[in-house]
Amino acid sequence: MGANAQTSVPVFASGEVLTAVNQNLSAGTGVPVFATTVTRDAAFGGAGEKVLAEGQLAYIEATNVVQFYDGATWATLGPATAGALVFISATTIGTTVSSVSVSSCFSSTYENYLVTLAGADSSASGTRLRIALGASATGTGYYSVANTLASGGADQINRTNNGTYIEGGYWSTSDSTSLTMTVYSPNVARHTTVTGQSVSTDGNGTETVFATFGGGVEDVTQYTGFTLSPATGTLTGGTIRVYGFANS
Amino acid sequence: MTYKVQIDDEVRDATRAEAAAIEAAHVAAEAQARAEADKAAAAASGRAKLAALGLTTDEINALLGA
Repeated sequence: MGANAQTSVPVFASGEVLTAVNQNLSAGTGVPVFATTVTRDAAFGGAGEKVLAEGQLAYIEATNVVQFYDGATWATLGPATAGALVFISATTIGTTVSSVSVSSCFSSTYENYLVTLAGADSSASGTRLRIALGASATGTGYYSVANTLASGGADQINRTNNGTYIEGGYWSTSDSTSLTMTVYSPNVARHTTVTGQSVSTDGNGTETVFATFGGGVEDVTQYTGFTLSPATGTLTGGTIRVYGFANS
Repeated sequence: MTYKVQIDDEVRDATRAEAAAIEAAHVAAEAQARAEADKAAAAASGRAKLAALGLTTDEINALLGA
């Protein structure tokens, strides 16, 4: 039982003298602290103790949680349990930028990451979407393939073979580019790989291009970020969000 | 030409080295696009010539593995 833990939540009678012990017990902790839920339950309703009522708070040392009493039962207020997918960052793409880098989003906390992009446009019609690890738009040792299916029928396969980036489909101009990709082991000392999908429209907005892509970089650099860029032209708008997959 | 690069929420002018890399990438991309367009045009031309020789679309596709 810790220094703050108590075994009683007292009430005071009219005219009763409050001692330092009395004050330190309640005022010192704010929320009453109990070793366990058993000592919590025993602390209310006894002689000289407060009658348990709706709105009562309590901290339980055994489980490190804050609870509240809703009039019938105790419920845990927090801390909230982290989900399997944890938000890390959001980056809004500026106006007419040649590339956009998201830094400090990969760490040892998570092994794999989800990246989403929505609402981005390119100034150049039908220009390819490029992905690179790190803060530069290009690097070395990239291998990738993007299978692009076009509503207009001009399907295409784009590849990099020991190239400078990962092929990720195409950027749109008149409408929006959307992308989702999983990044595997970017901050682990082994090859980083990427799989994903993107969808865009062409320059006049009449053709949809859907791409599935995969690739990686053959080095063991522990990357902390990535960069998206167009093959030609510039980017404007859209938001890149990064999430970490919980390791367990 | 001035290029802008973005790192997280900061947008700044590209350094001279970054601008040179962007321009080189653009030149390479345009050359690649021209090569792909030429290849597509050659394929279409070849198909047209095969058709002019009297081959059906199914025969051309069978020949080309399309």
